[in-house]
Amino acid sequence: MARTGAALPNPVETQVTSPDVQAGLARNAIAFPDGIPGFEACRRFVLLSADSLAPLRRLEAIEGPPAAFLGIDPRLVMDSYRCRLSDNDMRALGADADSTLLWFAIISEADGVLSANLRAPIVINPQSMIGRQVLPDDGLYPIRHVLATGKA
Amino acid sequence: VLVFTRRRQEAIRIGDRIEVRVLRVGRDGVRIGITAPPDVPVHREEIYEEIRQANRAAVAVTPQVDLSALAERLRQP
Repeated sequence: MARTGAALPNPVETQVTSPDVQAGLARNAIAFPDGIPGFEACRRFVLLSADSLAPLRRLEAIEGPPAAFLGIDPRLVMDSYRCRLSDNDMRALGADADSTLLWFAIISEADGVLSANLRAPIVINPQSMIGRQVLPDDGLYPIRHVLATGKA
Repeated sequence: VLVFTRRRQEAIRIGDRIEVRVLRVGRDGVRIGITAPPDVPVHREEIYEEIRQANRAAVAVTPQVDLSALAERLRQP
């Protein structure tokens, strides 16, 4: 299977963490006050990107057990994507109707098939640097929206 | 585990902010109304569990797929 040299930045836990790097991570930390289901102990994350893999990004925990997610803005994989946030979600994010929010659909892989979780996206408010995973009970969108198979 | 017997329209209070009320009892299911403050997340267990599982599966992602090709394709308008 063809793989190129392109890779997202190294996982934080494998990097040499100088005080500068630590400070940089802390400055760019996004708080997840409720954690993420399955990773409730991860309360701070950083969002990493690499030009070669844009628009894919990587959301990585810098607190709690090691956790990193590959993801993408759901609107880039589905033009018609619309997800209404509840008042409670908006409050938790410190957002109002004028806020520009960042959306991140978690990508997973099973048997060489990549899919994005459009059902429960992660939403980040860059102004407040607060994020949370939105869990609509009656979602319109699939948990596994197929992006690509391994066959190029 | 606390176990209560409740009839239709009877409720249970959890603390002073949460109420769980039996609205209807059918043969195969019970309709339950939950009143909770907005900061208390309420979810059907299977949905929470499904998303939890999906997150768990995603975290291990070291795709045997060419991510560059996917990124390239996603960059096309």
